[in-house]
Amino acid sequence: MIGRFILRRVIIAFFQLLGVSLVVFFLIRLLPADPVANLVGLNASDDAYAQAERSLGLDKSIFEQLSVFLGFSEDPGLVDASLGISWMTNEPVFLEIGRFLPVTLELVTLSLLLSFLIAIPLGMASATKPGSIADKVALIWGMFAGAQPDYWWGLLFVFVFFYVLGVAPPPMGSIDPMMSRPSVITGFLTIDSLLLGRFDVFISVLFHLMLPVVTLVFVISGAITKMVRQNMVRALSSDYILYAQACGLSKKEVGRYALRAALTPAVTLVGIFYMILLSAAVTVELVFSLSGIGQYAIRSILTFDYPAIQGVVLTVALLSLFIYLILDIIHAYLDPRVQY
Amino acid sequence: MSIAEPDSRQGAPAPKRRRFARLDRFSGNKFLIFGISVVALSIFLAAFGAAISPYDPIEATGDISVPPPPIVEWPRLFYLAVSGQLERPPHWFGTDQSGLDVFSRVISAPRADMSIALGGALISLFLGTFLGLIAGFYRNWATELMMRISDVLQAFPVFITAMILVALAGRETGNLVLALVLVYTPIFIRLTRSEVMGQSARGYVQAAWAVGNYGFKIAVKHVLPNSLVPSLVQLSVTVGFAIILTAGLSFVGAGVRPPTPEWGIMISIGAQQLILGEWWPSIFPGLAITVTVFGYAVVGHAIEQKFREA
Repeated sequence: MIGRFILRRVIIAFFQLLGVSLVVFFLIRLLPADPVANLVGLNASDDAYAQAERSLGLDKSIFEQLSVFLGFSEDPGLVDASLGISWMTNEPVFLEIGRFLPVTLELVTLSLLLSFLIAIPLGMASATKPGSIADKVALIWGMFAGAQPDYWWGLLFVFVFFYVLGVAPPPMGSIDPMMSRPSVITGFLTIDSLLLGRFDVFISVLFHLMLPVVTLVFVISGAITKMVRQNMVRALSSDYILYAQACGLSKKEVGRYALRAALTPAVTLVGIFYMILLSAAVTVELVFSLSGIGQYAIRSILTFDYPAIQGVVLTVALLSLFIYLILDIIHAYLDPRVQY
Repeated sequence: MSIAEPDSRQGAPAPKRRRFARLDRFSGNKFLIFGISVVALSIFLAAFGAAISPYDPIEATGDISVPPPPIVEWPRLFYLAVSGQLERPPHWFGTDQSGLDVFSRVISAPRADMSIALGGALISLFLGTFLGLIAGFYRNWATELMMRISDVLQAFPVFITAMILVALAGRETGNLVLALVLVYTPIFIRLTRSEVMGQSARGYVQAAWAVGNYGFKIAVKHVLPNSLVPSLVQLSVTVGFAIILTAGLSFVGAGVRPPTPEWGIMISIGAQQLILGEWWPSIFPGLAITVTVFGYAVVGHAIEQKFREA
């Protein structure tokens, strides 16, 4: 049964991705940007302009360009998974994204895990004792930290923890510049350094991840606390909790049942929080000079690098569809009522 | 609301007390007062910020990287400035490395930030509510298609999409508003549609049909007013997000062009000096964003509470 469910979801996801690729493809070509002038400069001769236009393939009709993009020509395209060649670096976009993406995934995953570690106890305390200090803290925290300019908080943390207190590294990348980078196995610096037994690198990476993670946890944990609180309140007022209380179970045991019931519907929300964090990571990476997918997106968008832009949007869309699928499967396992 | 409200009993002293209770609840809520003041101030500064700023927000003053005066000095400085004993107004928030007065820029920035954020959020509200009303009231292939399109739009990463739209369309105010509308309208469509679908089954809609109204009139006159609450709550949240997005876009270099006074640009310019200890050029504009966004969130929360009680 679950096999059919996954297959159907994968087929739908394929069409969604196709839709996203087509929308991006036409959108960036409809907008009045001139990537050729951006590349050769405004004072270039007509010849140079025409030559650059030819080399980028922009002299072809839009449908010929589409067939190149989708990979129906000898040039690299979507079908052979290279995602095309970047106009700025002449490297396959796929390889570049493979280098930039792990940095972001590491940052976002770590931040999300930590946020839940903070939000679950706070949200639970707030739901079980309405009107208490924990409840007020959770309420204000939810309103305040649910939407904040992450880039500014990042800078503020840099100022306080690097400049004033001197306990954090300067915001200059994900590893001590004097340290040799471990050879790439997975691309995730934390995992690679552990696999190679380079504990000095591992510590340095964690040290450099500290402030970016604190920034992201700060801006997302309020929203998660609010969500946990709402689900918990709903679960606590349900019939089976009343029944559990009537059976004389201790407060702790009742709380445990309610938590499970409260978190099961929240599993699907994890995907939304993951996507919000991925968006927030764009500016946080800029603040801390982490070369993640957000930095790559900024660079390619500001230089009008069409193949790279298409690659970034497709990658993020693919990632979100994948995460939603995994979470739906987890949800189905946790909640026996879910039908495929 | 229950039927046995004290209000409905005529002649009883209850109504008066109840009115005071409501007033108490209103004024007792310091947060709400804070929120409403922030919203009012943000709109006031959007209109008059540039006019009341002590210095020209885009002209260098010649004082380069002056730190702000210590906060204990502010009352004395304020007295001196008001009584006209100073040659030039003080740099309340200091000046940045090119000599621009940070305070003047912070209070002039709402002209750009608030008009883009409010404009984008309000147009999204109107467009999304209208389309959502139609999609929820008339269920056919055309509205189904519209929902699928809005699904695809929502699958796009918000910040990256907005960045693409503005960078490639040209970094103009109008394009920023347009990008916000494209990103936020699907949320309002979805909210209104589900609310309208819930309302359409209610008795008063059946009654409106029964007395012979035509469809569009029922939709606009009866269903719409009853389906607005979720969107209004969402509006203030969206304004907050739109401010962060607008400033974020200029922070990464894909928004309003410098030297326009704008919070995101100011944070970005100040960021280069922050690491050397010159904190004031980027801390003050960020504080302005934080306070503004929080103010709008508080008002949104209050609207939500009010309608949930009613």
